[in-house]
Amino acid sequence: MELAGLEKRIQLAGILLIVGLLVEAVCLLWARPLAFILLVGLGGFLCVSGIVLYLYSLVSARDLSAER
Amino acid sequence: MQRGDMHFPTMLLISLIIVTALLISVFVARPALTATRGGKILAFVVLFLLPLLCMAMGLTSELERSKSTSFCLSCHIMESHGRSLYVDDPSFLAAAHFQNHRVPADQACYTCHTNYAMFGGFRAKMHGLKHVYVQYLGTPPAPEAIKLYDPYNNRECLHCHEGARSFEEGAVHTADPELLPAVKANKMSCLSSGCHQVVHNVGELGKVKFWRGAK
Repeated sequence: MELAGLEKRIQLAGILLIVGLLVEAVCLLWARPLAFILLVGLGGFLCVSGIVLYLYSLVSARDLSAER
Repeated sequence: MQRGDMHFPTMLLISLIIVTALLISVFVARPALTATRGGKILAFVVLFLLPLLCMAMGLTSELERSKSTSFCLSCHIMESHGRSLYVDDPSFLAAAHFQNHRVPADQACYTCHTNYAMFGGFRAKMHGLKHVYVQYLGTPPAPEAIKLYDPYNNRECLHCHEGARSFEEGAVHTADPELLPAVKANKMSCLSSGCHQVVHNVGELGKVKFWRGAK
């Protein structure tokens, strides 16, 4: 069950990263100030969220191993 | 949609982003891959290192692109200022600098409107964010009502002109021996009345001729 939770976190982190990276790719095609704001605000937020969630999943997996 | 600078590094970066997204999608589809040691290492690269790299390169690329003339002029409110660069009159300071490539034509706005003190570039970026806020959420002023935040510092002119022969030994500049020291000390503005006071003057664009640009 715990492993399923870990895998779910990795999947969610991956989805956040994919969406964030796609936002970034679109913004790179579009040379406007609004694109810059979207890249930093939305794309950056999604990517950072995905990375943080992935790192949290690593830490929580380590805790799980320690308990066993 | 304005494509801006669709040059090779941008295409490489977009390719890297697409490859990274595809690799991440493998872990989204098969998260059980992380059960093995090799899978854990690959996941660290794909879910941490590569996205960080893409973000850093994307931000750097966008920051560099935000210096471009086309970026500044992409807002409607700047249309008049963009037209003023093509005025066929050498007394128009911005036009004379732009048309004769005294400033890089592709970074014309940024070259003059950046404070060359420490953190000047950063302050310029912060002002840019404020402009975006006003443009979309505030009440943008009329183009002819746009003013600088602070009086134009001679430092931004002297950054290029100081030491140049035409500046140091020009007849008008040397007519009064106290003029150049006052200019260099920022006690007398280069843009003073009677000197170089015609810059963009967007309110007068209806009365001037325009250069059609290089063919």
